[in-house]
Amino acid sequence: MLVLSRQRDETIMIGDNIEVTVVDIRGDKVRLGINAPKEISVHRKEVYDAIRRENKAAAQVKPEDLSGFGKIDSKQDREPKK
Amino acid sequence: MEIRTSRFGVITVDEDRLMNFPRGLLGFPNYTRFALIQTGNGNYFFWLQSVDEPAVAFVVTDPNTFFKDYDVPLRTETYEDLAFTDIKFAQILVICNKVGDWLTGNLLGPIVLNGENRMAQQVVLTEKKWTTRQPLLRLTSEVPLAKSA
Repeated sequence: MLVLSRQRDETIMIGDNIEVTVVDIRGDKVRLGINAPKEISVHRKEVYDAIRRENKAAAQVKPEDLSGFGKIDSKQDREPKK
Repeated sequence: MEIRTSRFGVITVDEDRLMNFPRGLLGFPNYTRFALIQTGNGNYFFWLQSVDEPAVAFVVTDPNTFFKDYDVPLRTETYEDLAFTDIKFAQILVICNKVGDWLTGNLLGPIVLNGENRMAQQVVLTEKKWTTRQPLLRLTSEVPLAKSA
């Protein structure tokens, strides 16, 4: 990993059009300002990780976990139930 | 076409039920083709079944059935990635999980679907209003859909 030292109000460039600026440093918290083209989405990594984890967990769901409504629509399901 | 699945055996789905996720789903980047399959109990829930991997399938639902105020702002890049010609083709689905007795929905990472060309993508909301485990309904043995609102 490339490690750079920056002070407040200093910026790094990523490629030609992404700027990351150190806006503020307070204790162990750093505030970053990011200028990037609209097609680049910027998110906190923990949000991505949470969604990835949730996808993995959701892939374990089985039809029988769902009180019956997870069955797929076969002909038999369409018969009126008595 | 026929799809092999671990949950339902071999099933036949119409071509128009196939969705293309060019980037896969988060955590599943290699599976790009999914079939949207109706469940036996009306239209609330669907299975999003991988065409490429029999064991990968997700329960999905329309989040607006449960949360009228839920809204996914469509970013320019999503509009372009999914080759939208008109915003009216946009459909939103969320992946469901079972957490204890509850069926939850991942409202922080919804799926945007272009109904015109059936391309889809999982997006990440910047707003922190919604979570990855928003409770949808309680799974009880009797009539789970009675509490769908």
